[in-house]
Amino acid sequence: MNRVHNTKIVLWLITGLAAAIALNRFVFGLGATTNLNDEVPWGFWIGFKLSWVALSAGGFVIGAIFYMMKREKFHSLVRIAILTAFLGYSSFIVSLIFDLGLPWNIWHMIIYWNPHSPLFEVGWCVMLYTTVLVLEFLPVPLESTGRYAAVRTFLLKFRFPIVLLGIMLSTLHQSSLGTLFLIMPRRLFPLFYSHIIPIEFFVSAIAGGLLMLAFETLALHWMYRRKVETDLVRLLCSVSVWILGLYFLVKIGDVLIEGKLGLLFDGSWMSYLYIGELLLSTVIPFVMFVVPKWCANRKVQWIGTSIGIIGVVLNRIDIGGFAMRDATLWYTPSWMEVVLSIGILSTAALIFLFLIETFHVWDIQPRDPEELAHTPPLFDRVSGAWVGNPKTSALTRHTLAFVISFAIGMALISGRKLHAEGIENVTVRPASGIDTLCVNGNRDRQFVEFPHQSHIAWMRSGKISSITIDSIRYVLATGADSCVVCHHLNLPGEKLSNCWECHTSMYSEVDFFRHDWHASSSGANLKCDDCHTPGETRTARTAKKCTACHPSYTFADTAGYGADAYYIPSYVDAMHKLCVSCHTIELRAIKDKPNLALCSTCHRTGTPPGLRAGMKWDVSLPRFDNVVLPAPVPGIK
Amino acid sequence: MESLLSFARGPLFRLCLMVMLLGLARILFLDLWEAYRAYRRAGDRKMPWRLIARRSFEWIVPVKRLSRDPQLYSIASILFHVGLIVVPIFLFAHIDLWKSGIGISWPALSFRWALWLTISTIFFAAVLLIERLFVKSIHSLSRGQDYFWLVLLLFPFVTGFVCANVKISAGLYEFLMIVHVLSGDLIFLLIPFTKIAHCVLAPFSQVIDALAWKFPPATDQDILETLNRNH
Repeated sequence: MNRVHNTKIVLWLITGLAAAIALNRFVFGLGATTNLNDEVPWGFWIGFKLSWVALSAGGFVIGAIFYMMKREKFHSLVRIAILTAFLGYSSFIVSLIFDLGLPWNIWHMIIYWNPHSPLFEVGWCVMLYTTVLVLEFLPVPLESTGRYAAVRTFLLKFRFPIVLLGIMLSTLHQSSLGTLFLIMPRRLFPLFYSHIIPIEFFVSAIAGGLLMLAFETLALHWMYRRKVETDLVRLLCSVSVWILGLYFLVKIGDVLIEGKLGLLFDGSWMSYLYIGELLLSTVIPFVMFVVPKWCANRKVQWIGTSIGIIGVVLNRIDIGGFAMRDATLWYTPSWMEVVLSIGILSTAALIFLFLIETFHVWDIQPRDPEELAHTPPLFDRVSGAWVGNPKTSALTRHTLAFVISFAIGMALISGRKLHAEGIENVTVRPASGIDTLCVNGNRDRQFVEFPHQSHIAWMRSGKISSITIDSIRYVLATGADSCVVCHHLNLPGEKLSNCWECHTSMYSEVDFFRHDWHASSSGANLKCDDCHTPGETRTARTAKKCTACHPSYTFADTAGYGADAYYIPSYVDAMHKLCVSCHTIELRAIKDKPNLALCSTCHRTGTPPGLRAGMKWDVSLPRFDNVVLPAPVPGIK
Repeated sequence: MESLLSFARGPLFRLCLMVMLLGLARILFLDLWEAYRAYRRAGDRKMPWRLIARRSFEWIVPVKRLSRDPQLYSIASILFHVGLIVVPIFLFAHIDLWKSGIGISWPALSFRWALWLTISTIFFAAVLLIERLFVKSIHSLSRGQDYFWLVLLLFPFVTGFVCANVKISAGLYEFLMIVHVLSGDLIFLLIPFTKIAHCVLAPFSQVIDALAWKFPPATDQDILETLNRNH
């Protein structure tokens, strides 16, 4: 088993899947890719990315320890730490392109300054620090070519001020990322909200950065089958113990001083989340590494560093989304959010592996046995068939893995039309109430209060001005009651057309005709030529009208109702068209109701009065099974 | 049946289409990348570019081949390719699916053209198959996948022709449609991994052919080593 190759294959597979989702995000939008909403605009999606910045902190920490404090023991880690930091920050910037609603405006921050915003400071710091990291890392690839020796010498000359600048910038933005949350005391759950979030972020970033480096060292040694430098990892872990202890004190001190101890043990989901995060990010790794004997054990190192990293990541995700007040009921990350985030990391990991194999990043540059410069081609021993040049076969396998997982990603994402418009597919649920209806098709916190009885009364009063002459004529001609002014009543024998029965989708058009059902043997079982004119291209134009087979259906407003118009508007569009069109006309006639056509006249927020509490109220109108099948038409079996 | 059909032309279709598109891009990339590497390693880098360009053009626009032996096979092959490429791309029903799926469309073939091109494709596929089977010179050059592909390509064309032009019951229509879509999916899936990859590789075949004779220095050693190992 070749660990390097298998790891790379897995990374390519994830990258391929993520690439398909990235395409989905740019073509169909954030709404079709994430489960984020107005209440949780960040969530896992951005919280996870914030943790990359934290885990990249090893770059400046090791820089400080090695260059400032002159601890030579850490020498072999410096380049790896800088490369990790550089890739961590680059991934963060790349992921921002996916996050931003208008990614092409990412450069605005450089020109349009808003010095009052913490995000402005974070943006500038990240930009400058990434530049610093490039300058710090550049001597490594320049080493292998003599062409730019002057540039390399120049950069090495200024190494100390560059490292110093890096430490300064990191201190600034690692804490400013916490500052972002200071402006939302009412959004963040009190247990997680703190005036010292910036300090918590800074301290946890240092711990996370050190643990990440320890984990990376372990993982690289495992992959390239080298003897683990347990001492080096032990050194990192024992340094991180102090930071973890400090982080614990800061967190628990904050809880005690701000009087939040009661919240910590109140048994709610938030308290469990906080306790879990505290255990993972501080207590467990602290206990594991505080005993020198355990700290030197490789298994303990693996488990401890992994748990610590998960803890720091969880902290950022909690503050980014899970700990938003009242939000836990509403937000679960979509699989696409998760895969895209991990996919960016996989790409970074592949670049990381490429760089450590190509340049002298590690103390001993790893040599992948299959990546040798020139080896004779391989032949299968039995058949004599050419198996391929080994170097080619690695590339062949990786690209194949990418192609296959990209295709699977494309198969998994929804390809429906409504997604193309970035619209969620929400099935409409019936309005509830009897005399006063509460119209809330998607059962969210907004609803429309519709006094049905008073509308009927107004219509019968004769003062109504919005009925056009045509529709009155129609009402008189059909002998119908005033119901038909609002209700279609176009199905045979229909007394009541509940809006939601046909307008079944909240935001998208509905295929009312259902061609596939008509053409299916389990449906109407019709042959193509039963509806389409033979010998012509089968389109809606060459098909019969609906009323040719369903004579008892009445399509009031469209005399020439054909199959080409069988898409009916969404629930929202239908409701707005029906209500707003009348209200705007009535507004002119009724002088004492100037607000009649405003949104707030009908739309309400909260739970409707007189209904069961909560969002899942199911009291609905009586539903009549009023569809009568059409009489058989001669000539059609 | 209905759900199988919607699966075959929904997720499965997307999977196969993407395998085809990216797979072709991949095979082209690998091909050109290896050609570039071979060129870099070559001892003698003089290339007859003019000749290569002329030959490539002759292969892409095969007018000259019409007069060459086996003449009937060449003509049948060219006419077969015309229908094979034009009908699936410009058929009205296919364009309608693209339009309702992702909102893009382009001009369609008229009903009559589509009908006759489909018939000609089926006819010439049959001619090619018969020639491969019974003409000795062609038979001796044929591999398994040459027969397999001709038969596989017939499936979507025959089923599509029947579904579009013959009055059949809804049940049979559904069954044939499923065969049509599934065989189409299978074709997409197999294209980048079989000889049909020539649809992107063909323009570069002459370059690769010329490069094949540019051996890197000390190749003889490699060959000897390989042969010894093989013995």
